[in-house]
Amino acid sequence: MQRLLSGAYNWFDERAAVRNLLRKGLYEAVPVRGAWFYTLGSATLVLILLQLITGIFLTLLYVPSVTEAWASLNYLKQHDAFGSIVRGIHLWSAYILLFVIGLHMVRTFFSGSYKRPRELNWVTGVILFVLVLGMAITGAFLPWDQAAYWTAVVVTNIAAYTPLIGSFLRALWRGGDTMGPITLVRTFGIHVWLLPAILFPLILAHLALLRKHGEFGSYINYRGAFRSREGVDVPPAPKQRPIEPPYPAVPTDELWAAPLETEDFYPHQTFKDGIVSVGLVIVVFILAVAIGAPLEAIADPSTTSYVPVPEWFFLPLDQLLLLVPQQLIPLILVLPAGGVLLLLALPFIDRGPERNPFERPAVMVPGAFAVLFIVILTLLGSGRLFNQ
Amino acid sequence: MAHRDPRRLTRRQFDLLGTQVAGAVVAVLLGIPIIGFILSPLFRRQPTYWQQVGDIGSVPDGQPTKFVVSFPQGEWTSSKVNAAVYVVKQNNNYTVLSNVCSHMQCPVHWDDALRQFLCPCHGGLYDITGQNVGGPPPKPLPQYVHRIDGTTLYIENRFTENI
Amino acid sequence: MSQLLAVIAPALQRLAAELPAQAPQGSNRIAAQAAIGSLFSLHILIAGLVSGAGELAPAIEFLGYVRQRRRYDRLAHGLGRFMVYYFSVSSTIAILLITVLLVGFWGHFWSTIVTIGWWPFFIEAWTFVLQVSLAYIWYYSWDALRGFKGLHMALGGLLAIASFLQVYMIDIIASYMLTPTNPQNPLRLALNPTSYPLTVHRTVANLAYIGFVFGAFCAIRFLRARDPEDRAFYDWAGSFGLLWGVSMTLVQPIVGYSYAKEIQLHAYNSWYKMMFGQLSVVFLWQIFLLGLMFIVALFYFTRRLRTDHAPGSGLLKLMTAGMVASTLLAAMPYHISFSYDTVVAAGLNRPFWEGGLINPLGSMIPWKVLALIGYSLLAIAAVVWYLRGLPGVVWGTARRGEQRLLILLAGLTMAMIITMGFIRENSRAPFLITGQITIEGQQNTQNVEPTPLPSSGP
Repeated sequence: MQRLLSGAYNWFDERAAVRNLLRKGLYEAVPVRGAWFYTLGSATLVLILLQLITGIFLTLLYVPSVTEAWASLNYLKQHDAFGSIVRGIHLWSAYILLFVIGLHMVRTFFSGSYKRPRELNWVTGVILFVLVLGMAITGAFLPWDQAAYWTAVVVTNIAAYTPLIGSFLRALWRGGDTMGPITLVRTFGIHVWLLPAILFPLILAHLALLRKHGEFGSYINYRGAFRSREGVDVPPAPKQRPIEPPYPAVPTDELWAAPLETEDFYPHQTFKDGIVSVGLVIVVFILAVAIGAPLEAIADPSTTSYVPVPEWFFLPLDQLLLLVPQQLIPLILVLPAGGVLLLLALPFIDRGPERNPFERPAVMVPGAFAVLFIVILTLLGSGRLFNQ
Repeated sequence: MAHRDPRRLTRRQFDLLGTQVAGAVVAVLLGIPIIGFILSPLFRRQPTYWQQVGDIGSVPDGQPTKFVVSFPQGEWTSSKVNAAVYVVKQNNNYTVLSNVCSHMQCPVHWDDALRQFLCPCHGGLYDITGQNVGGPPPKPLPQYVHRIDGTTLYIENRFTENI
Repeated sequence: MSQLLAVIAPALQRLAAELPAQAPQGSNRIAAQAAIGSLFSLHILIAGLVSGAGELAPAIEFLGYVRQRRRYDRLAHGLGRFMVYYFSVSSTIAILLITVLLVGFWGHFWSTIVTIGWWPFFIEAWTFVLQVSLAYIWYYSWDALRGFKGLHMALGGLLAIASFLQVYMIDIIASYMLTPTNPQNPLRLALNPTSYPLTVHRTVANLAYIGFVFGAFCAIRFLRARDPEDRAFYDWAGSFGLLWGVSMTLVQPIVGYSYAKEIQLHAYNSWYKMMFGQLSVVFLWQIFLLGLMFIVALFYFTRRLRTDHAPGSGLLKLMTAGMVASTLLAAMPYHISFSYDTVVAAGLNRPFWEGGLINPLGSMIPWKVLALIGYSLLAIAAVVWYLRGLPGVVWGTARRGEQRLLILLAGLTMAMIITMGFIRENSRAPFLITGQITIEGQQNTQNVEPTPLPSSGP
C-alpha cells in the first residue's frame, strides 16, 4: 500500500513539481517569539474565505430586486433552516472579520513590520482593509429591509458631503438622486463581482509579498533590540538557513535583517494558526445558530417610527455625526479619508530602521491615540443604541 | 542591403508599436461604453410623477398630519415605493413637508411633547414650519413640489430644493 | 432574584413609609447638603486615586516586564502600597455617607434608589470586595511571586478588571439619577443614556488623576531625597506620572462633549443650566481650568528638557504658547452676565459691538469646539515631542521648578474634580432623580422650574 501511494505521489511530482512546491510552502522559516500574534493574518484569511464560500451559496437564492430581495430572504428565514445558518455565518463572519482585521493592523503597526523591505505589503494590506470595509458596507444594503435601506440612505448620503463633487458621488452610487431599484442592483454587482475581483488578486499579492520577505515577527528576536537593554551584549548575526531563506541574503539593515531564532512554518505555526482559526469559526457558527442573521420589516421610506441603528463598525463615525455641529461636518469626511491616506503613507513617513515601539514615539503615540479614540467613540456609540 | 537605414523601423520596434496600439484600441473600445454606462445616471433625468395625496380639508391647525403616498419606483419596474408627507396648516397656509432629515436623510417624525420634528439618528430638531432649530441638520426639512386643487393635495416626487 | 426582591421590597417600602417623607428643610437642608457634598468630594478625591491605582499599577508592572526595567516594577509596587494603605479611608467615608447621612436625611430617596438599582449595588459591593482582596494579594505576594511574574501580572490584570467593574456599577446608579429610564428592565437601566459616557469619562479621569497625583508625590519625595538612585527614580516617576495624566486628560474633551450631548438629548434642563443658566459661569471656569492644566503640563515638558539641554524644548515652548492661545479662546464668555436668561430678558442678546451682551467668539460652536480640538492635538504633539527628547534627559538632575509644577498640577486636578462634582449635583437640582424625586425628598414634582423648550436655546 505504501509503495502504491508513494508511486502515485512520484507520478504527480514528475508532472506538477508538487514535492518542491510543498517543501517550499510548508517548511518556510518563521520567527519563534510572539508566534500567537501572527495567527491574526491567517485568521483573517480563513474568515474571508468563509465569506467567499457562504456568499457564493447565498447567491443561489438571493434576488437583487427591490421587491424580491426581502421576499427571497424572508422565504429563506421561514422555510430553510440550513440556509438561514449559512446566512447567519455570512453575517457574523463579516462582523468578526472586521474586528480581526483591526487587530491584525494594530499588531503590524506596533511591531514595525511595515518597514523596509515590507512597505508594499503594508500598502496592499491597507487597500485590502478599505476593500473589505466596502464589502461590509455594500453587503449591508442587500437584504433591503428597514435596517439595510436606512443604512444605504445614510451611507450614500455621507458621500454627498464631499466638497464640489458630493452630489455627483451620491448620484453615482444611488443611480440617481433618490434610492431605487438601480441602487440595489448596482450595489449587488459591486459586492459580488467588482470588489471581489480586486480583493482576491490583492490577497494573493499580499501573501506572495509575505512569502518573499518572510514574517518579520517581534523586535525582541532581532539583534537590533539588544542595544537598548541594560548591560547585555549584542548577539552575533544568525546563520542563513539552508532551506528556502526568505530573509534577504544581503541585509537591508544588518541589525533587523534576519531573526535570531526561527522554526518551521509547518507544523509549529500552522498549529497555532489552526487553533485560532478554528476557534473563531466555532464562535461564528455558534452565533449563526443562536442569533442568526436578523431580517427586519421590508424597507419603507414612509416610516416615521423606525429608528435607524448603524452597524457596529460604523459606530465611531455615527458618534462623530452626532457630535459634530453643522459647520464642521466636512471634518467627518476628512477624518476617515485622511486616516486612510496616513495609513497608506505610513511606511514612507516612518522610514528609520528602529523596530522597538518604545524607541519611536513619534509614530507610536499618535497611532495609539488614534486607536484609543476609535475604541472610545465605538463604546460611546454603542451606549446610544438603546436610547435613540 | 549591407547598410541599414536608421529611419526605417526594425522588426522589433514594429511589433512593439503594434502591441501597444492593439492594447490601446481594446482599452478605448472597452472603456468608453463602460465608463459611459457607469456615469449615465448622472446625466439621466429622473422621471417625476404627480400623485394625489388626499383631502386635506380636515387637517387641524398647528398639528402636522401624516399622509402616505405611493409612487412608481422606477421606469423598468412595476413596484411602488411609499413616501411620507407631513401637511401643516397654519393661518390657512399649508406647508407640505417630507420626512427626510437634511443631515443624513434619516426618517423624521413629529413629536407632540416637544412640539417639534425630531430625527432619531442624531437628535436633529425642526420646528413646525420645518426650519432646522437644533442638532446637526444644516438645512430645513425638504418640502415637496405640490399643488392644491380645492381641498385635494397633489404632490410630485421631487423637492422644491435639491438636498 | 425576584424572590429576593419580593422579600426585600416590602421591608424597604415600610422603611420608606416610616422615614420622614420630607427631607431636611430650609437652613437644615443647606447644612445637610454641605455635609454630604464635602464628604462626597473627599470620598471621590481618595477613591478616584484608589480606582486609578488599581488600573494603572498592573499596567505599569506589565510595561516594566516588557521593557525589562526595574524602576517600573518599583513604581507599581509603590502604587500597590498606596492602595493597601489608603483604600480604607475613602471606603469609611463612603459608609459614613450612606449609612448615616443618606439614609438619615434622604431615606425616602435612598430606599427608592436601592430598590431600583438593587443589582448594580449588589454587584458593585462584590467587585469592591474583589478589588480590595486582589489589591492585598497582589501587593503582599510581590516578592514571593518574583519567579512567577506571569501569574503575578495575571493577578494584577484581575485587579484592574475588578477596579473598572466597580466604577462601572456605581456609575450605572449615578447616571440613572440624571437620566432615568424604565427601572423594570435591567438592561435599559444599565444602558441608560448617560451610563456609558459617564463610565468612560470617570475611568479615563481616574487614570489621569492617579498619574498627576503620584507625579506630585514623587516630586515631593525628589525634593527630600539625598540618595542619587532615589533622586533618579523620583525624577523619572514624576515625569512618567505626568505623561500618563496628560495622555488620559487629552481624551476627555471628546468624552466630555459626548456626555454633554447625551445630557442635552435626555435631560435638557440640566444641560441648559450648565451651558446657559446659572452654572454656565462654573462651566466656563472648568474649561479654563482644563486649559490651565495643559499649560502647566506643557510648561513642565519644556522646562524638564531644557534642564538637561535635551533637544525639543524650543518647539515645546511654541506648543505651550499655542495652548495658552487655545485656553484664552476657550475661556471667553458667551453671555456677559451670569445667565443667558437675564440677557434675553433685557433684550440684549446680540453682539456687544451692537450694544448687546453677547460675545460671539465665546460661542460653543464652533469656537470652543475648535479650542477643545486644539487642546487635544497640541497635547498629543507635546507628548510625542517630549518622548522624543527623553533620551537626552539624565534622570536625577531636575530642578526645583519642575517639581513645583508637578505639585501645582495635582492641586489643579483636585480643583477640577471638585468643580465637576459641584456642577453635577447642582445641574440636576432640584431633582435627585430627574423628573421623579426632588431634593425635598418628595415625589411631588409640582415645584419645579419651568422647562425651556430645546428650541428656545440659542
